[in-house]
Amino acid sequence: MVEFSPEVIETIIRASALLGAGFAMIAGIGPGIGQGYAAGKAVESVARDPEARGNIITTMLLGQAVAESTGIYSLVIAIVLIFTI
Amino acid sequence: MSPGPAVQFYIFGNQNLPVTDTLLVGWLTMIIILIGVKYLTTKLEIRPNKKQNVAELLIEAIHGQIEPMLPGEGWKFLPFIATIFIYITLSNIIIVIPGLTSPSADLNLTLGLALVVFIVVQQQGIKEYGLFGYLKSYAEPVIFLLPINIIGELAKPISHSFRLFGNIIGGLIIVSLIYQAAPPIIPVPLHLWFDLFVGLIQGFIYGMVAIAYISVAKT
Repeated sequence: MVEFSPEVIETIIRASALLGAGFAMIAGIGPGIGQGYAAGKAVESVARDPEARGNIITTMLLGQAVAESTGIYSLVIAIVLIFTI
Repeated sequence: MSPGPAVQFYIFGNQNLPVTDTLLVGWLTMIIILIGVKYLTTKLEIRPNKKQNVAELLIEAIHGQIEPMLPGEGWKFLPFIATIFIYITLSNIIIVIPGLTSPSADLNLTLGLALVVFIVVQQQGIKEYGLFGYLKSYAEPVIFLLPINIIGELAKPISHSFRLFGNIIGGLIIVSLIYQAAPPIIPVPLHLWFDLFVGLIQGFIYGMVAIAYISVAKT
């Protein structure tokens, strides 16, 4: 059984928190795919019906905001891991 | 560099009554809105002059967003929704003034407004269906889903507030990281994107999501 000094333990905890923050941001893939899909579909709709542009953009922004939630949660978790531990 | 509001001073030196950046800049935002509204709406007439046109354009634009989602009740909800739209948007973009931090980068402000929206949503649901019918709507389609419905309802203010908070503070952290890494002139165009564009879009989305929650509670 190896005994670690408190400084070593502190460093290991800090390093793990920073690694965890990095891993948490992998969740950024999801909102990226979701928002891109919504934007692509909106472009198709505007090309088909240019008069409904305003409504389509409003709906697209709302959908993207909901798709973004998971990414924002991961960002908040990463901020908590970096700044509080 | 640390996130969260910085305490400026304490009221009467009492450690339990801190006055933060959020509070000071929030009051500054309110003063700017009050002065702006007072300036735009002096001398209202039937044939509007230039200033009155600007005010009417703003109000009509917000009313035009509420009316399709809450048919027939656009003017009833206008004061509440327009407050959210104008206050959140202005507090997002007030960081373009050097030396000020955005009140929206503090979870206290965003969560506070999201809780106000949450209370309005519950009140509208009770008004629409009555207290018993409203409580019954949590047990639909089957009683088995009751816990999931309650958690889904409680998640609304959390996601509503964290979306704005995360967007604004994410932008602030990225810009301050680039300020540390690059000479002072390079990060300046980034303020256009992170402060102005993201701030305006997020202010719009915050209000639209509030309208969407109210309209979901009434259907």
